[in-house]
Amino acid sequence: MDLNSNRKTKLAARTGLDRIADILQIERESLTAFMFLVPLFVFLAVLIFIPVLGTFWDSLTRDVAFLPKKFIGTANYRALIADAAFWQSVRFTLLFVFVSVPLEVLMGLAIALVLNETFPGRGFLRAAVLIPWAIPAAVSGRVFELIYHYSYGAANYLVRILDLSEGPVNWLGTDLGSFAGVVLADAWKTTPFAALILLAGLSSINPDLYKQAQIDRANFLQRFLYVTIPLLKPVLVVTLLFRTVMALRVFDVIYVLTGGGPGGATTPLSLFAYRYFSSADFGYGAAASVLLFVCALLLSVLYVKAGRFQESLQ
Amino acid sequence: MSEENFKKILLALGIALTALFCLGPFAYMMLTAFSRYPDFLLPDQPYSATLENFRIIVFSESVHFLEYLRNSIVISAVSSVVAVGLASPAAYAIARLPLPGKAAILFGTLGVSMFPPISLISYLFKLMSALNWINTYMALILPYVAWTMPISLWILVSYFSQVPRELDQSARIDGAGRLQILIKIILPVSAPGVYSTALLAFIFAFNEFIFALMLTIDASARTIPVGIALFEGLHGQIPWGQIMAAAAVASLPVVLATLVFQRRIVQGLTRGAVKE
Repeated sequence: MDLNSNRKTKLAARTGLDRIADILQIERESLTAFMFLVPLFVFLAVLIFIPVLGTFWDSLTRDVAFLPKKFIGTANYRALIADAAFWQSVRFTLLFVFVSVPLEVLMGLAIALVLNETFPGRGFLRAAVLIPWAIPAAVSGRVFELIYHYSYGAANYLVRILDLSEGPVNWLGTDLGSFAGVVLADAWKTTPFAALILLAGLSSINPDLYKQAQIDRANFLQRFLYVTIPLLKPVLVVTLLFRTVMALRVFDVIYVLTGGGPGGATTPLSLFAYRYFSSADFGYGAAASVLLFVCALLLSVLYVKAGRFQESLQ
Repeated sequence: MSEENFKKILLALGIALTALFCLGPFAYMMLTAFSRYPDFLLPDQPYSATLENFRIIVFSESVHFLEYLRNSIVISAVSSVVAVGLASPAAYAIARLPLPGKAAILFGTLGVSMFPPISLISYLFKLMSALNWINTYMALILPYVAWTMPISLWILVSYFSQVPRELDQSARIDGAGRLQILIKIILPVSAPGVYSTALLAFIFAFNEFIFALMLTIDASARTIPVGIALFEGLHGQIPWGQIMAAAAVASLPVVLATLVFQRRIVQGLTRGAVKE
């Protein structure tokens, strides 16, 4: 009898959603779950997915101001391949990734190893590491612009007091100087993030393993090579991939610091595409950004896979 | 030299270098902001402290500094509240409700959040132009919400999963609906996590550059990073003191928030990458 009355109240409380759930033959709860996800899907679809697809479509058109939009197939891509400035930008982007990412991860690892020790003032240092991360990249770009100032910047101050060079260095005026300049400015901003992730990885290593290694008379270099590195490997892989995806899209700090110069020597693909967008040549800019998108997507898939692999380990 | 001593020296060196690397440029920014002349590092140039740079950026209307700051704070605050508000039900659904393909949704949103912004700004520009929203708060709030939702979702899922299931089960027995459980139980219980998620979303929105560069034109919606990036001064000479003063004030809210909520921010940031 009890069961029966329960069923009756349930029937009475049926709503439209229940009926939809019935029609779709899914659990009522799953339908609620789906409804809870709708805002997320709508935002991602309208503001991320559709724009990306739109950019794909634009890349197949002649889409410049004051002319009617026209489908031109792969003409933009063919023009890109013949464009020396595009290749210069590709070369810079790849070089930037290959130099800055390992540098950032290595420095991040060094900082993480320091922060993982116990010493007075550790809390202060941990907080200090977050400061470069918290400052907007465009702002830190401006700070580094002043640091590299030819006549009175801090970089040439160090060069002078340490007597490193005959005269002041023209940091942002030469290809090599500007490359080093943007790598260092980017490293300042992004190393802390790598350090934090690696620190979380380090602190999850069981301290007993180190004690055991000490009993086995492993010195601290051996402990680092044979305990820390193998156990940190999954986290290292994730950090490397994540930083690679982020370095591929570098924009803010370079836009502010060198504007892509001198002579296009530090123009990442994002900035190359942005220049065409800001002069209202949407088709050509779109083609360049589609190429960047494809590279980033492939790496993101790897990153997500690496993350899942790590998850399955635990 | 014993191994123990060697390690101690290495550690001391590491501490010094880390502090120098992280704080050096920040200290240089502050010193320049408070200096009467930006060339105080030249030989024989005394350092003369002043508040003049701050006075100019605050009171000189042609600089528009306060407008940029207000735009940034309003846009980032609204974006972060909306992003967390909309990501919460999604996170609750993933943490608690029966749903096929949860992992696909989580990793799919993670993948989406890694798209390079350049591959969508031209279309966003067209969309906002068509809606006549270029140079308005809406032009930035909507993309910022979309952009910060995936990370908010990830962090919230991990916080919500930690709430004991008994709490929502007993509420179910009392006849509460799912939305009620989310609002009355899950959110209050994981409030610290929700606040830190909102704080992270705020910082991401506050620091964002390329959307703001493309979708705003002048002080009516331009944000502080773009304002500082394009700050050139009126008389040819780049006013470094004023730029650094603006940079110092712009960094202040995020740096303070980061220092105060240090532990939570680190937790939030590393949640996605490293499982505890």
